[in-house]
Formats: sequence, structure tokens, C-alpha cells
Amino acid sequence: MKSLYVDGVSKRYWVPKAQKSAATESRLDRIRSFFSVPLARELLGAQEVWALKDISFDVDHGTVLGVIGGNGAGKTTLLKVISKVIAPTTGRIRGRGRVVSLLELGAGFDDEATARENIFMNAAINGIQRAVAVERFNDIIEFAEIQEFVDTPLQYFSSGMYLRLAFSVAINMQPSILLADEILAVGDMAFQERCLQRVRELAKETGLTVLFVSHDMEAVSRICDRVIWIKDGALHRAGESQDVVTEYQNATWELLTSTEKPEDKGSSHAGRYGEILEVKLLSADGREIGSPPRSEDVFVRIRFRTYRAKTRVRCAFDLFSKGVLVFRSAQPELMPVGPDMAYEAVAKIPANLLSETTYTISVGITLIRGEGEEHALVVNKALAFMVYRENSDEASGTLHRTGLIDPQLEWSMETKPYAIRA
Amino acid sequence: MPSAPDVALDSSAEWWEIEPRQDGVFDRARELWRYRYLWWYFAADTLTSQFRRSKLGWVWLLFRVAGPVGLNAAVFGGVLGVESGGPPYFLFFLCGTTTWVLFERSLLFVTRSLERNRKLITKVYFPRLILPMSAIAPGLLYLLILLIVTVGTVLYYYRHEGLWYITFRPELFAAVGAIGLTLVFTVAVGLWTSVLQARYRDVRYGLRYTMPFWMYFTPIIYPVTAIPEKWRWLVALNPMAPIVELYKWGTLGHAHLTVPSLVTSLVLITITLISGMWFFNREEAASIDKL
Repeated sequence: MKSLYVDGVSKRYWVPKAQKSAATESRLDRIRSFFSVPLARELLGAQEVWALKDISFDVDHGTVLGVIGGNGAGKTTLLKVISKVIAPTTGRIRGRGRVVSLLELGAGFDDEATARENIFMNAAINGIQRAVAVERFNDIIEFAEIQEFVDTPLQYFSSGMYLRLAFSVAINMQPSILLADEILAVGDMAFQERCLQRVRELAKETGLTVLFVSHDMEAVSRICDRVIWIKDGALHRAGESQDVVTEYQNATWELLTSTEKPEDKGSSHAGRYGEILEVKLLSADGREIGSPPRSEDVFVRIRFRTYRAKTRVRCAFDLFSKGVLVFRSAQPELMPVGPDMAYEAVAKIPANLLSETTYTISVGITLIRGEGEEHALVVNKALAFMVYRENSDEASGTLHRTGLIDPQLEWSMETKPYAIRA
Repeated sequence: MPSAPDVALDSSAEWWEIEPRQDGVFDRARELWRYRYLWWYFAADTLTSQFRRSKLGWVWLLFRVAGPVGLNAAVFGGVLGVESGGPPYFLFFLCGTTTWVLFERSLLFVTRSLERNRKLITKVYFPRLILPMSAIAPGLLYLLILLIVTVGTVLYYYRHEGLWYITFRPELFAAVGAIGLTLVFTVAVGLWTSVLQARYRDVRYGLRYTMPFWMYFTPIIYPVTAIPEKWRWLVALNPMAPIVELYKWGTLGHAHLTVPSLVTSLVLITITLISGMWFFNREEAASIDKL
């Protein structure tokens, strides 16, 4: 049974034409714009932008639908149209039951009011009677774990507490459709995990429909039944989570490596002593790979060239996940290199080490010339990839917690003659 | 673990629809009723937000309401010697200014209502009309204070002159009616200004500076009879003038109120309200995009 139909929804905005920046604007321009009729400027200078283009899809009851796409693709606009905050320009949306949004965490919360006041206000906004809100009050506080801070203004809340309250309020507003936008952006991992778990539970037990917007592909592929990928305001792909996520990962990866590689901020891929030419992720048979399986070895290949003689180099890379440095790996010793030569350094990341999540790799090469002249070449975010588990049935069914790495350790067990007390 | 929320797959759950076309008046009214709890919330919020982080909140409030009344009465009645043409000038001024203060204060709050809650509007849905409607709350508080001052003044004159200037007469209902009309007119004008304010912050400044002029064009500090006969029709073009006179007539029983001017005022208020509804409906979505 369907719970939501989105039918040919488009949204047009009138955006003022880009104004000259303050630096290039002459004083005359500034005076002119100050005196110009505000309305006329808007009407004449505006250009239309389609934030959503003819989007159609429907969602079954009890489904967690992932919504993915780059920044500015229109994901949030879509949720806002569904939550009735923004009127669509064309199209129609039909849904059933109460829609509760968790757009940009805690939106709709008043910082100066206490948690208690905010809970009742949110209930009122969601059209819930005060008596019902009173009933739910303890559940909300309990799940949010903020018992001691019920009467504290939200401005003194940590972002984690804020998130917990927002999430707890939202799921207790008797939603039939929950719109969750980037709920994993803040908060500690443990609570995020509880949120995800709860979302899944509610979907299964009560038939709650969830639209889940996230950039965390690992979370999306774990908790979503289906995924839609929005690209430039249009529906680009829809299907099984794993398929769409993998495709999205590959596309993003290509984009990252093609546009962002050497020019990325903080990078200095070329220097006086050498230049990093290329960084690639390869499978064991030498194919370039965007999302390696967890059970296979994967190789980081760094191609670089040198300019000067009497130089020694050491290649290294940093592996990041969710903005955290997981580890740094470097060649154990400095290697001598010759002038004007090309080199290729390869590092093997063994199978069954990485976790089922997204990683980025930043590459650095240290060049030492003569006695102490040291120089570094760096490419930040040279690679981005997502590791997946092939037999994902077991993974998606039971929500297991993943760390930054997931090494296969050696375990042993045997019987020991300890006394067993009855 | 807390209990699971009610079953979402409730067979009674209603189907709803979102279309580019705006809902009709009846749907809107039904929706307003469904969200009536919010009225209280926003009313309380508009009220308390004024006093947040102020230690002397209520004292300020009294001063802000009673101060200008006393000062104006002293300047115009005492120093300049404007004639009320009947009751004591202070009482005359107080009754004249009551509906005006209600209008002026409320309008400023109503105008800012959308802008003040823009964080909410851009993130969560609820009927926007609740905002201008609940922003009249501070005005009502001002009204209450003025009414208390009025009662005190009447008692004062009774003790000193032995005269009841305001008594319980059926005409008092006209005064209540005048207050009602003021509120309707405030919201009607506010429907325009709040939407415009959401787009152009200039509206509030403009309003701030035009309100005093408007006040002087309204017979508050002077009686209508002070205006030369041939210019009196101008008063009828100001919807607030007959309201102020109606209130004075209801309370003091002493006013210059003609039926044509009252009818003109009612017509103007109705036009403002209907056009305001139309404008609010049409523009709210567009303006919110621009917030």
C-alpha cells in the first residue's frame, strides 16, 4: 500500500541576477543601486531557476526511502515541498497521515525557550492536542536522555542534546511520514546508531514511511530499503539502495578525481623537486576501482616524478573516514631517486581491514635533498571510495555497529577445566 | 525503552494533497481551527519576547503605555490648552487614544510577525495566518492597561467632582464594537504589511514614521468639531477616525459621529480585509521563498 505519491513536481525560483561584487562595483554603481526602484530591479533582473524538475515517485508504507545527491541538488527543497513549507510550481503530491519533518535539525525550535516549552510548541505546530502532548512528554524526555535539563533554555544545550531532543520530539509526534534531513550531521555515534535503529523499528512495526536525506552513504545503504538519487533538481535514479548508492559512489568518485585532484585546497602537488602525477585505487588485477569489496586486497598507487638529483623520497598517505584520521601509512625508509624520472609507489591495504563505510585518502611525498632541505608534495582528498561487503544480506538485516576500521582479528576458543559453580 | 508511538498505519489517517493552487477560504478556516492551540503559543511568545532579559519588564510596559498618554494630555490639554468640548481633557484624550494605541501597537507587532518567525516559517508548515492573528496579543495587553487607567480616572473624577463621566449604559456596547473593529482593521492592514515586511525590511521603518502623522489626522488630541466644517469629509477617508469617535461616543457619550462616516469606515475596513486576505494568500508562498 502506498503512503505517498509525488507526481511531476517542479519548483521554480526567481533569483536576482548576480550582482557585481563589492570590489568591482564603482561608487556610481552603488549610488545608482541605492536609488533604483527595488521592485523594478527585482522584476527585470530576475532569472528563473528550476530547483526541482518534474520529479515523480511513490513510496510504500513502512519504507525507508533514501534521498541522495550532491549539495544543492534539490533534496532539501523536495522535502520542503512535501512538508508543505514551499508550494510547488507544478505537480501534485498526495499523502496519507501526518507529516513530521526533521529538516535541518531542531528547526522550529526556539533557542531561548526551555526544552519543555519547545516540546509543547512543536506539538502545537504538528497539530497535536496539549493533552496528548502531556501524555507523550515523558517518552520524549526519556528517549532524548535530557531528564535533568527539561527546564533549561535550548541555547545552553550541546549540539548532541539538541539533536536528541529534536529526534525524540519528531518520532513522538505520531508521524505517518517522517522527513529526516541530515539527521546524522551532528551528535555522537552511539545516539546516531540509536536513531537509525529506531527509524528502522518504527518503519517495520508501525508502517512509518521515512524519507531519509543523508550524505552518509554507509548509513543510507544500511537503513534504506530504496534510494532515489536527485541530480540537478531531477530524479536521476531510483532503485534498490545498494545499486543506487554504488552507482552514486562511483560517479562522485569520478567527479572528485577529475575535478578536485591536484587543485584541491591545501594541496601542493607540484614543487621544485617533484610533482605528484596521479593517485589511483586499484584492485589486485590492476583495474581502477571506486568501491572495493571488503574481502579483497586493494592498492593505492601513487605516480610521481622528480626533478633534481641527490634526492631521497618517502611516500605516505592518510586514510580518513567521516573526517577522522584512521591511520597514516608511510614507506618505512627514504628511497633515493634520480633527476627527471617517473616513479610509481604502491601500497597494499589488506583485505578484511577496512570497514563498510566511505573513506578518503590524502597523499603526501616528502623529498629530502642533500642533508636537510626538506620539501613536501601533498594532494588532499586524492581519492574517495566506499568499501562494501558482498554478502550484504546479513549486514542490512541486522544493524551492526561499524567502526572506522573493521579488522578480521584472530580468535580462538577452547575448553578449560575451570570449576563451574551451580 | 519508551513505548512505540501510535500505529502510523492508522486506517483513519486522512489523505491530503498538495497542489500549486492555494486552498480555498473554507479549507483555510478549517485548518485555522485545527491549529488553534498555536494561537496561544504565538500570542504568549510575542508577549514574553518583549520582556526576555529585562529585569523591569512590567514596569517598562506600564511606563510605555501610561507615559505617552500622560505626557500628551499634559502638553495638549495643559500647555496648549486644546479644548475637549465637554469632559475633562485628560479623560477625553484617554478615551480617544485607547483604540488608537491598540491599533498602532498591534499593527507594529502584526507587521513583524512573519519576519520574526521566519526561521520557523521556512522550516515547518502551519497556517501562516495564525502569525498576524496572534500578534495582536501585546496590543490587547496595552488595551487592558489603558482600560484600568480609564477606570481609575473615572473614579478619581467621581471623588473630586462627584460626576460619573462613564456609566453603564447600552452605548458601552458601541465601545466594545469599536475595539472589535480596531482589531479587524489592524489584522486587515497587517495582512498587507506583514507580507511586505517579510520581503522589504523598510516597511517597518516606514510605518514607524507614518503612524504619528496618521495619529494627528485622527481626532484624538482634538475633537472633530475643531475641524472646519468644509474639511470634515476628509475625516471620513480615515477609517480609524469614526472608530475613535465611536469609542468616545460609547464611553463618554460625547462625540461627533455621523452615520455616513461610520459606513464609509466599515466599507474601507471590509475592502482592506478582503484585499488583504487575497494578497496574503497569493503572496505568502512567494514571500516565504524570499525570506
